[in-house]
Amino acid sequence: MKKLYIRRFLWIGFFIIIWEVTYYSNVYARQIFPSIEQIIKSLGISLTKGDLLMQIGFSFIIILKGLLIGIVLSVLLSFFDYFFKNFSSLLDTIIGILHPIPGIALLPLVIIWFGVGEKAILVIIVHSVLWPMTINMKTGFRSVDNEYIEVSKNFGMNIWQIFYYVLIPLSLLHIVSGLKIGWSRAWRALISSEMVFGAIGPFGGLGWFIFEKRVYMDTPGTYAGLVVIIIIGMIMEDFIFGRLEKKCEEILL
Amino acid sequence: MKMKPTLILTISMIMLLMTACGKKHDNTVKIAQQYGLAYAPIQIMKEKGFLEEALPNNKIEWVKLSNTAAIREAVLADNLDVGFMGIPPFLIALDNGMEWKMMTGLSSCPIGLVTYDDNIKTLKDFTSKDKIALPQPGSIQHILLAMACERELGKADALDNQLVSMKHPDGFQALTAKQDIKAHFTSPPYLFEELANEDNHMVITGEEAMGSEFTFIAGACTEDFYTNNKKEYSALIEAINKSIEFMINNEDETLDILSNLYEMDKEKLKGYLNYEGMKYATDIQGVDKFVDFMVRNNYLNKSYKSEEVIWE
Repeated sequence: MKKLYIRRFLWIGFFIIIWEVTYYSNVYARQIFPSIEQIIKSLGISLTKGDLLMQIGFSFIIILKGLLIGIVLSVLLSFFDYFFKNFSSLLDTIIGILHPIPGIALLPLVIIWFGVGEKAILVIIVHSVLWPMTINMKTGFRSVDNEYIEVSKNFGMNIWQIFYYVLIPLSLLHIVSGLKIGWSRAWRALISSEMVFGAIGPFGGLGWFIFEKRVYMDTPGTYAGLVVIIIIGMIMEDFIFGRLEKKCEEILL
Repeated sequence: MKMKPTLILTISMIMLLMTACGKKHDNTVKIAQQYGLAYAPIQIMKEKGFLEEALPNNKIEWVKLSNTAAIREAVLADNLDVGFMGIPPFLIALDNGMEWKMMTGLSSCPIGLVTYDDNIKTLKDFTSKDKIALPQPGSIQHILLAMACERELGKADALDNQLVSMKHPDGFQALTAKQDIKAHFTSPPYLFEELANEDNHMVITGEEAMGSEFTFIAGACTEDFYTNNKKEYSALIEAINKSIEFMINNEDETLDILSNLYEMDKEKLKGYLNYEGMKYATDIQGVDKFVDFMVRNNYLNKSYKSEEVIWE
């Protein structure tokens, strides 16, 4: 674990050096390629004086909401998919149709049906996370050895009990990796929809932050927004999902 | 030393990337525009090949970008020579150290804030829940709205928290859907289409907001292009003049070309082009007023005189 961090920091250091060399070589206009120092300064100012913390919080909460709805729906869908043949073929068709459509392509429709408020953005997020999570969960359920199911049936378990005590625990790893995909999809959906059609909610989220910096040509600020996304992504990856995966492995052993 | 191959690979990738987007030094003239009737002379120039005729030894490339930020970034990255946009976004870039000036005006046209709500007659009637769609903060629509707010509500940013940034077609749809977008600050043809719907009415026009006439779209180029490509520069100015003259003298052919390009009915288009306030001209109006307002309200850090923002 420690070695991994050292390597990661080495790579980050390496990229920082390349970045600075590029900056000082003046290949690109300063207005589109700021130095690391300018980016960090801008980040500091936005954190202390601006709305950035609130915007991060807003992004976070709306993503958690979207993920929660996505999890509940995908658990339900996967449950019916596993136990009912007809539903399974319907679900496959729906996934086949909807999964390839990027959330952004749905924006014009979403605006007409749901307006431009929080509801609209939630719809986009749920659309982006639901299908990949469902596919993962389905795969997880299907990979559970049939013998376990037969044994539980012999014990007289009903489908809910089989679902809860056998299928879910045995496919935990698939579920966690589905969550991981869902999490990153939710970020993409939120950031890109805000960059396409603007702030949602009173002060917008991180996507709006980046968009606003861009239209006022505050390039260090634009990069600062990206840095925040990277940091949050790394924290989630290492501390939340990494630990969750470990826990699941322990449970399974 | 297991890292070595990856290191070499990474460095060569980066070098490859750098050469790929490096400075261009060839005969290409790259021109960017956005969408809408305000760009009609460019369409005519392109269709009739006026610029190609004047510059037989150059390659002319036409690019359509969907917002001013993208145009500015492309110019900075040296992927574009000339960009067309509203005066305020041009000024914001100049203020952030971009070395460029405006070379020509292109059009003035009626723009305005449209709503479907009968209760909204002036800006004072907007409640804090009413959302207003416009292209983006810092756009000419946003600055005009802020000017009107300063005059009528005493505060330039009075409605800023209610703005939703949307492209014109999305804003048009949102207004038609009558969901949470109450009003849309837009330009032709979207403005005309919205006003053609009886449910909608105009709250304030661009000219009322500004208090005088102003140039809606202007063309700008970098110092580098201006000093090193004199021939191309004057050819472009001439071609724009020629296009505008063509539009005046050959109305039928103009309508043919444009109705094809905009996929619009000819009669309808004729009405639009003759709409009051629709004007194609190369002079640039309203710069000082925009600068004064934007400095006063901190959209710009410093003030600019006309000769600092317009070439010659």
